[in-house]
Parts: sequence; structure tokens; C-alpha cells
Amino acid sequence: MGIVNLLFKNRLVPNIEEIEVYEAHGGYSGLRRAATMERQAVIDEIKLAGLRGRGGAGFPTWIKWNGLPKNYDAPHYVICNADEGEPGTYKDRELMLKMAHTLVEGVILAGYSTYSTKGYIYIRGEYVESAWQVRKAIDQAYKKGYLGKNILGVEGFNFDLYIHMGAGSYECGEESALMSSLMGERGNPRLKFPHAPLPTVQGIWKSPTLVNNVESYCAATAIMTIGGEEYAKLGTEKSKGTKIISVSGHIAKPANYEVELGTPLLELVREAGGVTGGALKAIIPGGSSVPIVPADRLDKINLDYESTGANGTMLGSGGFMVFNDRTDIVLLMKRTSEFYQHESCGKCTPCREGTRWLFKILDRITSGNGQPGDVDLLLDVCSQIDGRSYCGLGDAACWPIVGAIKAFRPEFEYWITHKRSPIGDQALPPSPERVNPLLTLTAA
Amino acid sequence: MSMPNNLTDRPREPKPAPAKEKRFSEQALAELEEIATHYPERKAACLPALWIAQREYNGYLTAAAIQEVADYLGLSYAEVEGVATFYTMYNLRPRGKHHLEVCTCLTCAVMGAYDVVHKLEHELGVGLGQTTSDGAFTLSEAECLNFCGAATVVQVGDRYFTNITSENVMGLIDDLRASESYTPAKLADAIVKVLIPNASETGGGSSDKEAIKGISGPML
Repeated sequence: MGIVNLLFKNRLVPNIEEIEVYEAHGGYSGLRRAATMERQAVIDEIKLAGLRGRGGAGFPTWIKWNGLPKNYDAPHYVICNADEGEPGTYKDRELMLKMAHTLVEGVILAGYSTYSTKGYIYIRGEYVESAWQVRKAIDQAYKKGYLGKNILGVEGFNFDLYIHMGAGSYECGEESALMSSLMGERGNPRLKFPHAPLPTVQGIWKSPTLVNNVESYCAATAIMTIGGEEYAKLGTEKSKGTKIISVSGHIAKPANYEVELGTPLLELVREAGGVTGGALKAIIPGGSSVPIVPADRLDKINLDYESTGANGTMLGSGGFMVFNDRTDIVLLMKRTSEFYQHESCGKCTPCREGTRWLFKILDRITSGNGQPGDVDLLLDVCSQIDGRSYCGLGDAACWPIVGAIKAFRPEFEYWITHKRSPIGDQALPPSPERVNPLLTLTAA
Repeated sequence: MSMPNNLTDRPREPKPAPAKEKRFSEQALAELEEIATHYPERKAACLPALWIAQREYNGYLTAAAIQEVADYLGLSYAEVEGVATFYTMYNLRPRGKHHLEVCTCLTCAVMGAYDVVHKLEHELGVGLGQTTSDGAFTLSEAECLNFCGAATVVQVGDRYFTNITSENVMGLIDDLRASESYTPAKLADAIVKVLIPNASETGGGSSDKEAIKGISGPML
């Protein structure tokens, strides 16, 4: 258990972003091996490895790859979801910045396995720095014959890879909204299976489409490089392999840490240098959408899908945010609800109206205007949003608030009764009356 | 809402009638046609076309810009405006020379982001969503820019400026005053170029050479 640099193995090699250096360190050996195998055998190796989607849902990757028709009769598409938007998460940014070749190789592997002819890497518009490294990796791959026609001498294995830049929308990280955006529309989601076909049956332009996260494709590259059996030696029985956790907040050494799945959560806190600025109060282990965990429950949790799930939170995207005791949970939730309210695409009434309502309640609580019964009102509104929209944004807006109330209800009640933060003047994020004095200064 | 910001306020200036003159240069048209070949349907080039338009129209999408995109793609004005209004990075009103987008989301919020915002409001003399009278800076809050380990993050143009505090932010402002690289038009240009095959040979925006320095290992 602990830090295992698998995807990050060559992260510190100088000039690893140049394809010759990448190849000299084992790069594209996975694709070369795959090209000698039957396409089904590649999928079987992903299955043997036990890879689960690293975007946040943890869905078994091989099932998706296996779901496209196994022929070239009609166009198939591979999409890489590089619209990393989950607050707390920045692993894909670094993967693209430093290990873009690993990503490109993984996408081509997926293209081979799924009989696809075109791939799109959908990168959020803000990630221009990372996008340039992906551009370079794609251009260099074409020159070496890893993209284009009859790749690696395999007759009929033609694959083109494009970048598509977003323009600012968290919702476009949702699979179906991403597909809408890729097709030139507003980023609205579509109905999910079973009310609508799976993307692997009908995705973009009604064609079979594979959508996976950046880290999932990079993991696929690692699997085909070291072998599925080797990969499956890492992790736990149901959570195989490694996960990159993005550590931030009140922590000494914020960074992306690649850990073996099953690593105890507090071990990662130690590796990252421990809490700063006060005592540890709480951690959000998997991005803003997962319930916050108070300090006294952290020792029970291992960083894998099952342990987090059994302890009232989720591994999610791995956006690991550490909070010391200056943190006011209610103010944190207010900012969280503001995020979801801004990012709601507006299509579905429960989410559009509900996220706005949640923010209004939390805003009035933290402005000293909380009403008795507001906490139960928050829970009631949450229960009317959860599971009632086309996509999971509404659900994701509720889980943190329900989790925060469950773990820190007294703080909410204190705000309502005393009309100020239980932390006092030094609360983080700052409470409105602490920042107001600056607003009254006239500018020169 | 208690704090003014431009994240959900999307007022636009009164819409003039779309102009008859087209502003896409020959190069812009060539870029659009190249990008359109990436998709089986021309409509899918809508987002890239809006980025080209934002560059050609100097960093801000006027009604004329939206109409020009609609003309090239065979779409209605309404449809293209619908797309333009959905995404936060398409500017529907003019921005200053530097658009300061300060992330104030979860981690940045507990790492002093609001102190950065208020320092900037005080020193620049503007509120959130406003532009300084000399047109040099527009100040906005941003939702999570996803580089939380380097909080507080401020995006200007195509760069992320990291570990910004209320103490060092005015140093960033001084550096920006002397720079031409991080304007909204430059950002749009960088995004358009990154879509073009083999663009890496001629180099990209300001960020392609500088971004990967110092990213390895724990960020301290």
C-alpha cells in the first residue's frame, strides 16, 4: 500500500514529453503488443486488470470497451473526457501536461479495441497549457505512424485523433452533455439507459461511442505495457490498480499522489506532509460532490471504492481536500452550493430551481438571516432534487450538503441561532462581515 | 445574491443589427474549414467557430460575430447565440486588456482567494464583473479552475497564475501591465491554434513553453 508510481512512473524523466524519450522508456510498447493481438484479447486484458473508470463513477472499463459493435460496418468514435471540472481534482491536468503520450497511446488502444476510426479529446477551454502538450503528442504520434492509416502495419486499423476545446462548463464533463457539446450544441445532458440507448450503442451522431476519463486511458496504457495480470496484483479485490489523488487545502505538500487502491486515507495525509494551520477537522476525499468526512471517522477509511462507500463517502474523482479547524463548514457549503447553482445547465427543473434554492437558503443562513427549520428545509429540498433530473449534477449538489449536515449539524444550528460563525473572526472561507470592511474603502 | 459577480449575470449590451461586413480573415476561414473536416456534421464546428470569431472580433462576441458564425455554418442566429450564451468563456461584453479570473471555489476559498479578490477590488477600484476605467483589467470570480494544489489560482488569458495571495497579487498586476500575451484575443487564438494538426511545429500561445516547468513532484 502507499505511493506507487505507475502512470507517473516516468513523470520526472527529462523531456518525457518528446516521443523519442517516451519510446526509450517503454512508451508505445503497449500499443505495439496490442497490435499483434486480437482486438477482443485487448479488452480481455483490461478485464483481467480489473480497471474501473477513474473519472468518478468507477464503472468497470472493460464493459464499456466491450459494448461497441465488433466490426467496421459503421463509424465508431472514441471520446476522452478531459473536461476535468470536479472541484478539488487536478490529476488530468498534470497527466496531460506531463504524460500526454501515455494518454494518446491509451486512446489509440481504445480505438483499436473498439473498431473506431476517429477519436476526440474533449479538453476544457481553461486547460490551454495542457492542451498544447496533447497537441504535440498527437502531432508526434502521426509522424511516427501511431496515428493515421494502417497503424503499425495492421491492415484496416485507421484512426484519426482530434482535440476539441470546451469553453467553460462543468456540466460538459458529464458524459451525455459532453457529447452534446462536441456536436456543437449547448451542454445539456440526455436521458440515460434504460430510457435512452447507451453511448456504446448510440452516442455522438447516433454512432457507437466510447467515453472514458483521461486517467482511465492512461491506466489502459499502463495495463498493456506491464500486463493485466501485473496490474491486478495492485489494489484490493474489487478495486484494482492505482488511483491518482489530487491533494489540496490545509496540507503541507499539496500535489497529485498516485496511490495503490486500498491505501489507508490517513497514510496519504502523512505522505502529503500532514495538516497545516491548525488541527485536522475534516476531509473531502473525492471531489466536491462527495460527502465530507469529519476527522474522527477518517481512520476507518481506505482509499478504494468499497471502503469509502461503506463509510458514508465516495472515492469519486480523487479530489482530496483537507480542512483544518479554522474551516467553517457552513460557509464552505455555501460556496459549494454556489458552484452547483452556477454550473447547473438549467434544463431540468429540480436541479435548476433546487440548486438555486439551496444557495439562497445557505446564503441567508450565512448572512445572519437563517430561519428556524432551515436545516430541515435544506434536507427537504435535497430530497426533492436527488435522482430527479437527466444527469447527476443535481444529485452531486445534494450529497455534500446532506453529508455536511449529518456530520456538522450543530454548526448549522449555531449560525441560525447566533447569526455568526461558530469559528469566529478567523473562519475560512471568510464570512461576509469579515470581508465587508474592505468593500467600504473608497478607491484612489 | 449577496456578492456581485459576473458568473450568472450575463447582461449584454443592446444588440445592434448584425453588420454586413465580414471580419474573418483568409487565414481564419482556412482554419474554420480545416476544423470543420474533423466532424461529420458542419454544425459541430460551432464551438471552434465561436473561438475564431472571438479572436477576429478582438476578444468579444458581438451580434455581428455571432451572425457571421451562423452564416458560415448554415445555422440560425438564435442557435449560435444559444451556444455562445451557454459557455462562460465566450465574452458577450467587452473585457479589459487583461481578464483576471480569480478562482474562489472550495480549496481556493479556504486558501485566501477572497482576500485576493478584495485586494484587487480595492487596489484597482472595481467591483467583481467590472473593468477599470483605463480598460486595463476586468475582474471576475471563476468557478473551479482545477489546479487546487496551487491555490489561489488566477487565470489570465491562456495561463494559470498560481499560489497567488493578497500579498503577491499586485506583483502579478505589475507584470501584466507590461505584457501583451494574455489578452482575451490571444487566449482565443491559442485555443484555435491548438485544434489545428501540426500546430505544435510552429509553437502555440504564451503557455506552451512555460507551463510544464515546475510541475513535477509535490508542489511546495
